Amino acid sequence: MIERKLVRPESLAEALGQREQYQKDALPIAGGQSLLVLLRNKLIDPKILIDLERIGELRELRSVERKAGGMMIGAMNTIYNLMSSSEVRAAAPILSQAASKVGSTAIRNLGTIGGNLCHNEPGADLPPALLALNAVVELRSKKGTRKVALGEFFRDYFETVVAPDEILCNVEIPQLPAKASGVYLKHAISSEDLAIAGAAVVVVLDGEQAGKVQEVRIGLGGVAPVPFRAIKAESALRGAALTDAAIREAAEIASAEADPMTDPHGSADYRRKMVKVMVRRAISAAIEQSERNGNGEA
Amino acid sequence: MAKLKLQINGEETETEARETALLLDVLRDNLELTGTKRGCETSHCGACTVMLDGMAVHSCVVLAGRCEGKEITTVEGLSEGGELNDLQRQFLKHGGLQCGYCTPGMLMAATALLRRNPRPSLEEIKIGLDGNLCRCTGYTGIFDAIQACAQGK
Repeated sequence: MIERKLVRPESLAEALGQREQYQKDALPIAGGQSLLVLLRNKLIDPKILIDLERIGELRELRSVERKAGGMMIGAMNTIYNLMSSSEVRAAAPILSQAASKVGSTAIRNLGTIGGNLCHNEPGADLPPALLALNAVVELRSKKGTRKVALGEFFRDYFETVVAPDEILCNVEIPQLPAKASGVYLKHAISSEDLAIAGAAVVVVLDGEQAGKVQEVRIGLGGVAPVPFRAIKAESALRGAALTDAAIREAAEIASAEADPMTDPHGSADYRRKMVKVMVRRAISAAIEQSERNGNGEA
Repeated sequence: MAKLKLQINGEETETEARETALLLDVLRDNLELTGTKRGCETSHCGACTVMLDGMAVHSCVVLAGRCEGKEITTVEGLSEGGELNDLQRQFLKHGGLQCGYCTPGMLMAATALLRRNPRPSLEEIKIGLDGNLCRCTGYTGIFDAIQACAQGK
């Protein structure tokens, strides 16, 4: 048996060189909280692990910084950082909220935002929130840098567009409209489980016309091969009067947009029904939050 | 194989292990620190919880090679001068254990929690222990022990 190798690059340039050299023989390891479970269960068998931990550029807390027009979050920031950083909590509270729902304390201590996205396990908590935040990921290789909107990033169960020579380096979050409010709700059997259905909703109430919504974004997880935005439900609500009936109708549409699978945690049918419930609750909660913050009346 | 220099319970230790060896395996098999328990090995049960630089981690999903230069604390590192520490005594007093298999992990998760938050509410204790399963106690004895320890009783 050939022993698996661990390489520990000190810089991003070195890591990208190793990505280029080893291609599909290697996998980058971020927090390792999912990857090491896959290894143990023999679901993957890379010859080499490229450890991203020593790359300060990806890891340091100062890479969580407010930039003009949004935030840049280095891929190696831990889930715990996202929960506890005052900057993230101020600029994207829905992301902190989703982070607090990830796995367990020990997993949040080591698991990272980049690893969470690249692993792309159905029911992960960060993707719905990041989709509702219009996040963009920065992928780098020796050939260059490309930016991919998160909606284009996920390809299939456990698959993303990251090429064998690339590393996800940053997650960019555009600044939210001033009056936006957002809520992430998770339905799971036990708190440390993946979501049976996770719904992230960002709403911007119309400042001029009371009771109307200017913008609504609905990110869903656990209810399709990849996390996605329920764009039909979003357009049904945009500019509409926010009656109970309209919210229920939007939740119904979102449920039809879902394409869930059956697994031991829930049947496809059950998940579809839960989409309806979670979307309705998340929209209502986001509107309530908006009103509490004095951002117009619904 | 690679040589590993690890700082465990305040002592420098050297051992040889595969490059991608897990911390759990190195602790138990190489160093015979068997207080740390092998449970699910998939980061669900928390029996293998240790502290890494003061944070609770599941040692079944930590590469030992990453722990060089960091302070590892296992349940063997809790006692003071050969005596159980306050948290351990509170576990005994409040019936925070029965079969004992989850106990080292519970103690380490609780120790890490109290470092981060010395006066946790019941809700915060539950969140702090959300990665640790106990099939015997129903958890109430564990929560009581941690609260008593936090209140210095």
